[in-house]
Amino acid sequence: MAGNNGGPWGGGGGPGGNDDDDRGNGGRRPDEGQQIPEIDELIRKGQEKLRVLMGGRGGGNSGPNGSGGGDGPNISRGTVAVGGIAALLVAWFMASFYTVQPSQQGVELILGKYYRTTDNGPHLAPWPFISSEVLEVTQENNVDIGTNRSGNSDVGLMLTTDENIVDIDFQVVWNINDAAKYLFNLRDPEATIRGVSEAAMREVIAASELAPILNRDREIIADTVLELIQTTMNSYDSGINIIRLNLDRADPPNEVIDAFREVQAAEQQRDRLEREADAYANRVLAGARGEAAQVLEEAEGYRARVVNGATGEASRFLAVLQEYQLAPEVTRRRLYLETMEIVFGDVDLVILDSGEGGQGVVPYLPLNELRRSVTEAGN
Amino acid sequence: MKRLKYIVPVFAVILAVLLSSIFIVDERQKALVLQFGQIRNVVEEPGLNFKIPFIQQVVYYEDRILSLDTAEIEVTPSDDRRLVVDAFARYRISDVVQFRQAVGAGGLRTAEARLEGILNPQIRAVLGSEGVTSNTILSSDRSELMDRITAQTRARALPLGIEVLDVRMKQTNLPTQNLEATFARMRAEREREATDEIARGNEAAQRVRALADRTVVELVSEATREAEITRGEADGERNSIFAEAFTQDQEFFEFYRSMAAYERALNGTNSTMVISPDSEFFEYLGGSTGLLPLQ
Repeated sequence: MAGNNGGPWGGGGGPGGNDDDDRGNGGRRPDEGQQIPEIDELIRKGQEKLRVLMGGRGGGNSGPNGSGGGDGPNISRGTVAVGGIAALLVAWFMASFYTVQPSQQGVELILGKYYRTTDNGPHLAPWPFISSEVLEVTQENNVDIGTNRSGNSDVGLMLTTDENIVDIDFQVVWNINDAAKYLFNLRDPEATIRGVSEAAMREVIAASELAPILNRDREIIADTVLELIQTTMNSYDSGINIIRLNLDRADPPNEVIDAFREVQAAEQQRDRLEREADAYANRVLAGARGEAAQVLEEAEGYRARVVNGATGEASRFLAVLQEYQLAPEVTRRRLYLETMEIVFGDVDLVILDSGEGGQGVVPYLPLNELRRSVTEAGN
Repeated sequence: MKRLKYIVPVFAVILAVLLSSIFIVDERQKALVLQFGQIRNVVEEPGLNFKIPFIQQVVYYEDRILSLDTAEIEVTPSDDRRLVVDAFARYRISDVVQFRQAVGAGGLRTAEARLEGILNPQIRAVLGSEGVTSNTILSSDRSELMDRITAQTRARALPLGIEVLDVRMKQTNLPTQNLEATFARMRAEREREATDEIARGNEAAQRVRALADRTVVELVSEATREAEITRGEADGERNSIFAEAFTQDQEFFEFYRSMAAYERALNGTNSTMVISPDSEFFEYLGGSTGLLPLQ
């Protein structure tokens, strides 16, 4: 046990002493304190030095030079020890060496005390004096709140200032902006983000009314909550950066969502009613305009007909008058006879002598029967 | 070879003593060095430390911010409406000696129970205090209430060696039995809104239709008026045309027009005329000779 422990302690003591901390080396291996190689020398020559060191010890404690005088069994035992120590050294090196990717930050602690934050590249943190932790810092982490409603149905239900209930699902996206603060200041960062986010969202929702939350204030709410979360996380010195907040859902709870849909349906119905009325108005107005135009045009038509008719009739009269003035008596008589000809030609004519006897007949003339017989005869 | 037999155990013993006499306090921790249960040393800073081997023990405490989520409690603000509230507190162990003395060997679990025992009454006290109604809690005054809870809890937790950084309310919900009533009220409000929407839609539609109907009547009656005016003008024009023509020989006009009227009025078979043969038309019919009358 002691021999095996001595390997890594010895190996660790070399670079530890060189690097930063003489105290650890001095406290543990005072017998090796005088050996202070350079750090690169250690990497290149460590094995050789240890071979010398262990060889001397294996050779019967006579000193570093005693290894040359060892006998057969000593040599084989020394070889085994050297091989073991070399393996341990490689193991030590593997344990001490670490690489930080561009997306990461490393944090080094010297004996538990924060030493420094390392960036992209290979680094050596000599075990066991310096320990290192590497964290993904650019990676985005999500905390979902209210989404998994099967587990706890109340998580997303929040009370608004007008005592309505709104169902909120949101997602907080965060990353680490200071690995050291992240490591040393919060025991449970993710649960803290979850708790702070829920509290912040509830605080903001509790100060808002339901209607704006459902539509127009969503952006504002997301921004306000994000700011509140970030401020709170900063007050914990948490090294956490809140990248964004996705407000996935801000709806009425399932129990009342039908009523909200009915309102939407009613809004659409209102819209429909108004549009129908508009359509009706358009239809009847167009009809009325057409009718008005028709009435006006008919009146114009009437004017044309009447005026033209009058003009024509007047011209005809004037033409006849002109003729009449040339031979008034003859024309007058001709007109009379022509008219009578037409009139008597069409009319049923009863010629009754209006002499002495005729006078007595008139009162008894059965005009109706006369007319009937004429009609029958006509038929 | 004989020496080697002694050296290895001796070396092991020395190493064990060394390992037992040093301890490392991490950046995330504080430590107490105990000797038979009594506090001998307080290590607040991280790093390598020494103690008396085997006799002294080291107890580590968390130096990061810890969280405590409280169970749901029902509070009754001064308007007697009950609310279910839960909160979380962020705290850290500020004084390990006091902490050790307060919670003994129980550690964080005991501390959390003690802290919750302090926190819940403070929540009740602040939320139930004079002038705090459920409306106050559900408003922007909420953060002020949380600050008051934080301040009061902080003062009472200090003797435990705990510094309360922050208390925040998470849920402030209605109790389950009130939830259904709230949902019913929300539904009723929505129904009212829906009815209102439809009624307003009908109102607007009726308005539009009425206006349209009125406009129709206006348009048509205006057109009729214009038409009548036009017809009147036309009739007037006709009269003036006739008057101008007929006044040239009024006597002839009467004769001419009478002839035209007889012709139109007495045509067809619907008329029967009884006339005397003395009529001028029959001047030559009754027994005349066809000779020129003697003058």
